[in-house]
Amino acid sequence: MKRIVNYSLVLLLCFSAIPAAHAVPPIQESRLDNGLRVLLMEAHNVPMVVMRLTVPAGSYLDPQGKGGTASMLASMLGDHTRKHDYVSWADLLDAQAIRFGVSASRDSLSIGMTVLKEALPEGVDALTEAALMPGWNGKRFTILKTDAISAARKSMEEPGIRAAQLTARTLYPHHGYGHRSGGDVDSLGRLKLADLQSLYHHQFKPRGAVLAISGDVTMKEVLKQIQPLLAGWKGAPEKVLKDTAKPEIVRGQKHHVLMPTRQMTVQLSRLGPSRYAPDFFADMLLNHILGGGGFASRLMNEVREKRGLVYGVYSYFSPLAVSGPFVVTLQTRADQAEQALKVVQDVMRNMYDGHISQKQLAAAKANLTGSFAHRMDSNAKRVGLMSMIGFYELPLDYLQVWKKRINAVKLNDVKDAAARFLNPEGWNTVQAGPQQGKKKT
Amino acid sequence: MRLLLILSLFIPLATQSYASENLPTSGKLQQAVFNNGVKLIVEEDHSAPVAMVQIWLKVGGRDEVPGKTGLAHVFEHMMFKGSKKLAPGEYSRRIAAMGGNDNAFTSHDYTAYFETVPSDRVDEVLSMEAERFGHLRLAADDFAKEIRVIMEERRMRTDDDPNSRMFEELSSVALRLSPYRDPVIGWMQDLKHLSIADVRAFYKAHYIPGSATVVVVGDVDFEHVKRTVKHTFGRLKKRPVAARFNPVEPEPIGPKRMVALLPAQLPMLAITMPVPVWHPGKNDAEAAAMAVATEILAGGRSAILNREIVDKQRKAFAAAAGYDAFGMGIDLWFAYGMLGPKQTPEAFEKAFWATINHLKKTGPDKAQLAAAKRRMIADEVFAQDSLYLRAKEIGILETIGIGADKRDIWLATIRKVTAKDIKQVLKRWIRQERSTTGLLQPEAHS
Repeated sequence: MKRIVNYSLVLLLCFSAIPAAHAVPPIQESRLDNGLRVLLMEAHNVPMVVMRLTVPAGSYLDPQGKGGTASMLASMLGDHTRKHDYVSWADLLDAQAIRFGVSASRDSLSIGMTVLKEALPEGVDALTEAALMPGWNGKRFTILKTDAISAARKSMEEPGIRAAQLTARTLYPHHGYGHRSGGDVDSLGRLKLADLQSLYHHQFKPRGAVLAISGDVTMKEVLKQIQPLLAGWKGAPEKVLKDTAKPEIVRGQKHHVLMPTRQMTVQLSRLGPSRYAPDFFADMLLNHILGGGGFASRLMNEVREKRGLVYGVYSYFSPLAVSGPFVVTLQTRADQAEQALKVVQDVMRNMYDGHISQKQLAAAKANLTGSFAHRMDSNAKRVGLMSMIGFYELPLDYLQVWKKRINAVKLNDVKDAAARFLNPEGWNTVQAGPQQGKKKT
Repeated sequence: MRLLLILSLFIPLATQSYASENLPTSGKLQQAVFNNGVKLIVEEDHSAPVAMVQIWLKVGGRDEVPGKTGLAHVFEHMMFKGSKKLAPGEYSRRIAAMGGNDNAFTSHDYTAYFETVPSDRVDEVLSMEAERFGHLRLAADDFAKEIRVIMEERRMRTDDDPNSRMFEELSSVALRLSPYRDPVIGWMQDLKHLSIADVRAFYKAHYIPGSATVVVVGDVDFEHVKRTVKHTFGRLKKRPVAARFNPVEPEPIGPKRMVALLPAQLPMLAITMPVPVWHPGKNDAEAAAMAVATEILAGGRSAILNREIVDKQRKAFAAAAGYDAFGMGIDLWFAYGMLGPKQTPEAFEKAFWATINHLKKTGPDKAQLAAAKRRMIADEVFAQDSLYLRAKEIGILETIGIGADKRDIWLATIRKVTAKDIKQVLKRWIRQERSTTGLLQPEAHS
């Protein structure tokens, strides 16, 4: 025991020599000559670096009937390059322990990597090579496409996926957000390599793109490595974020996808706030009170804790370039679906009618502001936040003023948000599961 | 990666990225044991004003008796239903009010309760954890509601998920005695018959101080935490700790097969077999070789299963394998192939064994071996970035009986693995005649 005591003394002495890092670390910004924005938060506690390049080539731009274009483009960029076929590319990344990831979401496409500090030069080379030297190998395209179609077919076993597909289609009937980013069996089947190339050539540009970095590195080091590699990359995307069309309002739709399951997956949806909504923080608190705050939320309390109807019930909204989806989702034994749905609607109506207490608001504020440090306590989380801030061009002091903005929200602001969003008549309902009334335990 | 499902109280909305654990930068572990058997392990990290508190218990699915499967996991739910001093729901409410996140998870080998909180609230959390640990309310009406929630959880995770349902069945066909043959969530038939009396008896038998390890990682001071634990968990009454159920799994006497006919879209073929877990000082080279072999087969982008069977031979659209060296008794090693519309289970199975047999004969080449080791060590560094993963590794090693202080030995052992070790471990354990093969076959009309 004595040895342990001595140990901790030594540790304390060591740590006291390190300056306190408890304030929000600032985001450092730099802009390359080609317009690429570089954002960095330094963190020298672990010898690693996380990087993510985000470009405005999201699934919103998938051509009509060709959902999955952006997603397949991401797969192709991650699979091989002009300099390396898929085998030598995989060997190269694996030998350097570079964890590489590509993905497409509605608004953006991103290429990310996690790398040891000691392998940073190799990691930066790989990231830029994947981004700027696509290989466009036709055989690999056919293989990746075939496997993506199989995976899409397999995913039809999941009620959550089926419901999400139907929700997207319902909520955005004539809009680029009207399908899941990964596409489906039919839309993937229609893809041609030229579709991917076209998206790449029009949208994969440095202007409007963001490179977010967190880890054991300085801006000087980063710039020294990336500048020569990215010097030849030029131009602006054909479609910019702010041109995204506003979706039309859809309400009161009801759809059902039949599945041979015991449970019914119920998804309610409506248009939610965009990234630029003037009352964004009031909307966020509203969602937290409704169903975004785990066990503290009203939906969890009413549907699970009081009635034992579900394992999970949540609400969330995805703020995008324009109104993203606001969704409530739950699963329950099929014969209880109507009862659960009614409880959800009652909670919504109750809040819509203004029944939100000062105490509930205070609790939501306390949880959100108290969790602030935890929301950015890893390199991956910080890169996620910076990518979002940079891509949507939010103010760089976003994190510094985050707590203040939350604390400034008044009860009336949240009641106004409830009046905007929680009229049950304004929501659409999608169900995935067996026919109503059929019981199977 | 463990095939056997680990359950949690609820699935958080936001998913976190990145997996695995530490090494060059791992902090020092500081430990204390109290008179009643409660153990404390602290790893200080002052890089952010946050702390992860995890309470680990040597109780899980393996401590249940036949007919009462699912009991250990019931606690994960009931622990939030109030205690002598805490009203139902108050625990989560207070954690939320301090900006914390709380959740819990249960496996066959352990149960753990955890919360991430601002570091100045750790004392309050430990005091609440000790209170509910020692004085759980266990009211009949709460249980009646919660068991329904658990049945919904089972429907969602298992009954309505053909892959998961198939793996559940496969585990129970593959194993003869190991408790891994029963699902942690419990069979639905058992869940329907569990009673509050069962729950109370289980609590009395298993929620004892000598089974608990308190793990704190983050911006805390060990001496301070030690005092707090002494005044909270340290005050619980000492009770005898019984040895845990851990039978020796009999060696398979031949290959077994099963088919699950379920409403699936596409087939999946899975191959499993019992293999040894790590027993420090006894089978270091063997367990480490198994871990590296599995990484070469299924880890990274150059994974052999993927390269050979998916990309080259086109016998599946995805393939994977998994091994977990940190368990009690055995691990159920697994590999599977997801099959597309034109890919047959027979062809996949043949390609799988041909790939394994080739690796047995030739071993990995130098570059493959070096890359696999480097990735495994890098993953340990990347995991240093997550307080959750760091605390979890400490908790697992401690709870299954390896000891948290052995974590650096594991990586040193990984570094020593040779191509010959890999050939040997595959030849000895990954053999068709030891395997159980399961096929998920879509029902004719789904």
